Amino acid sequence: MPIEIKSSTEPAILVLEDGSVFKGKACGAKGETTGEVCFNTSMVGYQEVFSDPSYAGQIVTMTYPHVGNYGINMADQQSRGMALRGLVVRSMCYEPSNFRSEDSMPDLLVKAGIVAIDDVDTRKLTRHIRDNGAMRGIISTEDFDVDSLLAKVRASDTIVNVNLAATVSTTEEYKFVDDMDEYSFAKNPSPESKYKVAVVDCGVKRGILRGLAQAGCDVTVMPWDTPAERILEGGFDGVLFSNGPGDPQPVDKTIATAEQILGKMPVFGICLGNQMMSIASGAKIEKLKFGHHGGNQPVMNLRTGRVEITAQNHGFAAVFSSIGPLIPELSGGMTEHVDDLRVYSENRIAPVVQNEKYGKIQLTHINLNDGTVEGVAFLDIPAFSVQYHPEASPGPTDSSYLFSAFARLMDGREDYLDIDIAKDRLKGWHS
Amino acid sequence: MPRRNDINRILVIGSGPIAIGQACEFDYSGTQACKVLMEDGFEVILVNSNPATIMTDPKMATRTYIEPITPETVAKIISIEKPDALLPTLGGQTALNCAVSLAKDGTLDKYGVEMIGCDLEAINRGEDRKEFANAMKEIGLECARSGYAYTVDDALKLSEDLGFPLVLRPSYTLGGAGGGIAYNKQELIDIVRQGLDLSPAGEVLVEESIIGWKEYEMEVMRDKAGNAIIICSIENFDAMGVHTGDSITVAPSQTMTDVEYQRMRVASLAILEKIGVETGGSNVQFAVNPKDGRMIVVEMNPRVSRSSALASKATGFPIAKAAAKLAVGYTLDEITNDITKATPACFEPTIDYVVVKVPRFAFEKFKGTDETLTTRMKAVGEVMAIGRTFDEALEKAMRSLENGRFGLGADGKDEFDEDNFETMLAKPTEHRINYMIEGIRRGMSIEEVASLTNIDPWFVSRLAHIVAVENSIKGVKLDELSKDQMELAKKTGLSDRQIAYLTGEYDSDHMDTADIEAAELKVRAKRKELGVMPTFKVVDTCGAEFESVTNYYYKTYEEEDEVRPCDKKKIMILGAGPNRIGQGIEFDYCCVHASYALQDLGFETIMVNSNPETVSTDYDTSDRLYFEPLTFEDVMDIIDAEHPYGVIVTLGGQTPLKLAKALERQGVNILGTKPDAIDLAEDRERFSELLDNLGIEYPPAGVANSFEEAVDVAHTIGFPLLVRPSYVLGGRGMVIVYDSESLKKYMAQAVRVSPDHPVYLDKFLESAVELDVDALCDGTDVYVGGVLEHIEECGIHSGDSACCTPPFSLSRSIRDRIKECTRQLAKSVGVRGLMNVQFAVKDATIYVIEVNPRASRTVPFVSKATGVPLAKCAALIMAGESIKSMHLPSDDRELDHYSVKEAVLPFDRFPGADFVLGPEMKSTGEVMGIAHDFPAAYAKSQLAIEYSLPTSGKAFISVCDRDKRSIIAIAHDLSKLGFEIVSTSGTAQALKSNGIPVTEVHKYHEARPNIGDMIANGEISLIINTPFGQRTRSDGYLLRADAVRYATCYATTISAASALVNAIEAVQDSGATTGRLEPIALQDFAQYDPAESMDKHA
Repeated sequence: MPIEIKSSTEPAILVLEDGSVFKGKACGAKGETTGEVCFNTSMVGYQEVFSDPSYAGQIVTMTYPHVGNYGINMADQQSRGMALRGLVVRSMCYEPSNFRSEDSMPDLLVKAGIVAIDDVDTRKLTRHIRDNGAMRGIISTEDFDVDSLLAKVRASDTIVNVNLAATVSTTEEYKFVDDMDEYSFAKNPSPESKYKVAVVDCGVKRGILRGLAQAGCDVTVMPWDTPAERILEGGFDGVLFSNGPGDPQPVDKTIATAEQILGKMPVFGICLGNQMMSIASGAKIEKLKFGHHGGNQPVMNLRTGRVEITAQNHGFAAVFSSIGPLIPELSGGMTEHVDDLRVYSENRIAPVVQNEKYGKIQLTHINLNDGTVEGVAFLDIPAFSVQYHPEASPGPTDSSYLFSAFARLMDGREDYLDIDIAKDRLKGWHS
Repeated sequence: MPRRNDINRILVIGSGPIAIGQACEFDYSGTQACKVLMEDGFEVILVNSNPATIMTDPKMATRTYIEPITPETVAKIISIEKPDALLPTLGGQTALNCAVSLAKDGTLDKYGVEMIGCDLEAINRGEDRKEFANAMKEIGLECARSGYAYTVDDALKLSEDLGFPLVLRPSYTLGGAGGGIAYNKQELIDIVRQGLDLSPAGEVLVEESIIGWKEYEMEVMRDKAGNAIIICSIENFDAMGVHTGDSITVAPSQTMTDVEYQRMRVASLAILEKIGVETGGSNVQFAVNPKDGRMIVVEMNPRVSRSSALASKATGFPIAKAAAKLAVGYTLDEITNDITKATPACFEPTIDYVVVKVPRFAFEKFKGTDETLTTRMKAVGEVMAIGRTFDEALEKAMRSLENGRFGLGADGKDEFDEDNFETMLAKPTEHRINYMIEGIRRGMSIEEVASLTNIDPWFVSRLAHIVAVENSIKGVKLDELSKDQMELAKKTGLSDRQIAYLTGEYDSDHMDTADIEAAELKVRAKRKELGVMPTFKVVDTCGAEFESVTNYYYKTYEEEDEVRPCDKKKIMILGAGPNRIGQGIEFDYCCVHASYALQDLGFETIMVNSNPETVSTDYDTSDRLYFEPLTFEDVMDIIDAEHPYGVIVTLGGQTPLKLAKALERQGVNILGTKPDAIDLAEDRERFSELLDNLGIEYPPAGVANSFEEAVDVAHTIGFPLLVRPSYVLGGRGMVIVYDSESLKKYMAQAVRVSPDHPVYLDKFLESAVELDVDALCDGTDVYVGGVLEHIEECGIHSGDSACCTPPFSLSRSIRDRIKECTRQLAKSVGVRGLMNVQFAVKDATIYVIEVNPRASRTVPFVSKATGVPLAKCAALIMAGESIKSMHLPSDDRELDHYSVKEAVLPFDRFPGADFVLGPEMKSTGEVMGIAHDFPAAYAKSQLAIEYSLPTSGKAFISVCDRDKRSIIAIAHDLSKLGFEIVSTSGTAQALKSNGIPVTEVHKYHEARPNIGDMIANGEISLIINTPFGQRTRSDGYLLRADAVRYATCYATTISAASALVNAIEAVQDSGATTGRLEPIALQDFAQYDPAESMDKHA
């Protein structure tokens, strides 16, 4: 009897706003979806990508061709739902294999109502976005008329100036219940909690909450529009402004909260949180051509000279020169801002600027691929933030030391960022 | 931390001859390292005994020593060259072991040589399993439970605690040599006994079995600042229990979740730090229990390895090049990514394709050995293929193997052991994957196949996908195939031939080559008609995130093609495919040289090859690299994309040569010797006619299609006969028969070897001297590159025979006649480029045995012996240049040094096979010895293989009756050199009667203690044993097996014995590294570069 094999058979189509057409097969829910098309270069961790709330409003293209090989499991979900708008892959797997697998990716997509397209030349699509910038796209399994699809995609929302964080944030405050037992095959239980931390949820990943728990934090998650007083008066040792989707500018209430809290208690910002802290200090935010989405971005900690391989997922970044003028004596003698920040990594300088609102701010991390800002430390107040993802999930965990750094900041240590990542590497893991 | 300026001269040690477990991947890594260090202004002193390597090209280093990689010789070279630093991590285990010895014996301290890239403590912690296990424990990682045995009793005690099966690994051996899996006490005793002997430390690790677990490898790099990155993860298709070198492997990992992967990643980085690898590349192996995710560290290598070569090719990240830069002070963020030229090397490559490596075996050469794959590596080579999916990459790899197959079955050539189908499916052998997919074709479920093999169900499900695609076109007529069907088949990786078979264009009962080729062309035409066209994508290290500048391509079936246009005239060079016995690194050397020479001349060079171990598949070697199978379909697709001016097929051995005609028929310009000339030389009838016309002698020969015909031929010519099938590679299926009984037996087997070709029978010229000649011809002039005299007589395959240039025993007049004969042949065959002729000289008569109008195995050796790079010259001739324009030194000049090439045999890997030399080639590699006299050069070649020559002790002599007269002088010399002669009765009698003192010992089947016990006890330092015909299987077989097992020096021919005795005398005479055996650098001899001298004279 010939073997029965499942694969994508129904047609699907992807049309970009510039008129590019990609034909493929449906491998998720039936229907139609629009969003900004971006790509992610992670070779493992598709499930963490798809469940990352930061992808709200976006259609994600995976550059690695095989997706779904090891199925899906509830422990690896980064949020309850799937915020992304759609999915583009080269080869979707219907017969996963892994001891933790609970379901197949296509089944999950159908259940979650995510429209997805398979059998696409994803490399061509990636090159197209790389050369022409991120753009809107539409995936359909119903309408195959290119003109009609083009009209629809051109009429769809862009992600600029939209408060996407509000759509993925929790609406109720809640306590994070430590769930490391789900990883007992690989990770140790979290230590006793020592710090009380508030997390302002703009689309927080479960990995961040776990990272905090593993650093000894008792975590309370709050909605994006939580007023500053609730946090300042809640008896917390520190606050974390989380990652989240899209453009930071419209997330005005969170920015206002950050502005009021900075300087009053230890603050840590990740990704969107970093951008909102930058905006709070008056910095300009720029949209990157096609963003950083992947698990292999090299970032140098300018204070230690060490390179971390990081997980990233953002389309916007802060402009360093807009934070304030350089303080030459703290910036290796540099008096003028430079276009390419890699001058600082080449010369091992962590430059400091004078910010009008919060005093001295140091550039602590930069991206070695393109010289963009990856992290800053506020030297006169207890706050720091990074543009990338110390929780990884998915991606390399080189930067998990930043959770320890946050704990050190809450302990009041000056040298909180100067941690040897090599010494920290196996923390929490077991074989 | 930029370049170190406190060091200037760096000693690089290569890996020596190609052997199983240590192949040309180290030429690739060593060449990269030498190149990058020289470019950065360092002086490089290189030691490597392997002449077939690119790294030993005199241009690659400041001083190049083709000398034995022994601590004595390298110490001597250190004393001569006074290097500041030693870089030991790029020449495999050989280099590492040598460096460890030099560090331990104080040589490095004495001469103030700093070991860079790795230090002694780190090597020890990485290689010593005990220290390693302790170190892992300290950082909280688990190793398999284990203990060490120093005696068989130790091992038995450990087995009580650990239970069976047990994995056994002798410490410090190459490619896991001597290791194995024991399922019972007897196996444990056998393997441990052998392992204790093989291990330099006399130590065997006895370990709990994790057979059946998933196996992974991580390729890691680290710099001095502590930055560490993963270059590539590799998942083995085969589960634990099969050596990773024998496993099908896949990059990147396929079945691990992010959490599992990240755990392995941090563990790998932490292990490097713990072991103390200061800078460079390392490889860490893990096993993962598929049931619960438990992870165990298997081992780590603190150096570049076979896997790092694979990882470099798989990702485009040049690990060895980076390792060399890191060793001289740079940090990862200071090195630029070669591929993007815009981003730093301090990142982790991400790929958007799948890479599959499949090992190439040569069991047909070692009949009688067990073909089961174990923890002891047996593969002689490997292929790599790139596809957008695993299915596509796997199919491409399967048709790259050069084994006559065109994919994973479905090509009409499947044959299965029907009586033992399930056993064969469960047993790890090279054919298991064929049984797996056939099992699915026959209706087995994914779960069944997975549970019988322990291979992850994901991989099995991909095989099921391939079967589903096969089924979707099976039985559909080619004419009726839809575009969708064709596209699906091609995307899945099916070859045109498989499609032809599945659509019934040919069937397994009618396998006529011409018909199959026609069917393949029909599919090709149909494919084009439907508009199903291949596309080429770039390997760019970054999944297209950044623009890349390197032209490193693979073929797939997608929408967008990325081949960049180019205005320069293009020449395509077809490589040699996977290493196998008979076709190795020598051909890669030729292809690489051609590329260099043609680039010098201003051509855009395009390399096509499927072998990840080679220099030719370095993206740096040619202007464009296509990592593709060397089949007609795949090559033709590249030609369609690139439209080269011409294609070179005569430098990559048989693989490209056999494509020549088919390519020419498509209008492709075959450069150099034309396919018709190739055919003239290979077609026995046409060639005999040519020789008759030229008045050149050749051994009487005949052709037979059946046993009856063969008997008739034998009757006319007379025995002994050399019998072989028509088209041959490395003497495959070739044998000497002495009577009609063995002829009959051979005929029964030979027909199976090559069904559509007849069998040739040549008169065998017993005890003739054999010669190899490599020559160039441009149509007007002929240049004799070198005349090589074989040390073994006729009948030993030229690839297995030691040889010497210039000839050491031939008269000037014979040499002149041979050269004249070569000139005549080259011109009349129509050679444009390289030609190799094999001659036999018997009683002053010169016979031509065969002519190969292509580069031969000896080209690199001859080039290094004479300083004339023949392959470069050949490429220039093919591009239209004349020999005259190159201003080469006269080919009549007398060299003042002798160069000996000696073959390296892999017998220790194949217990059960007979270890005797014959017309079938069995060697995997070669070494070279250079000295001012022949015995000294021969001695160096022996030292390069054996590491030492016996200079005293007991010599055991047992020869066949034919040799009893000629052994007397040899025995006499040995006795004079101080050896005590021992012999069995027959030989002893002959020696005694000639006044040579001899002690008689028992044969194997006689009373004990016998000769077997003496060898086992290490009492015998030298064995001379000559077999006769194929009959002496009993005692001789056991003797040679023991010689291999206990690594005793032995010779199986009189001429080899004679050369060996002279070599021993040379060593006794002046020591192993002084006087006649003083190390010599190639740069001390005149070196020629044809392109340069063309420039100079232009």
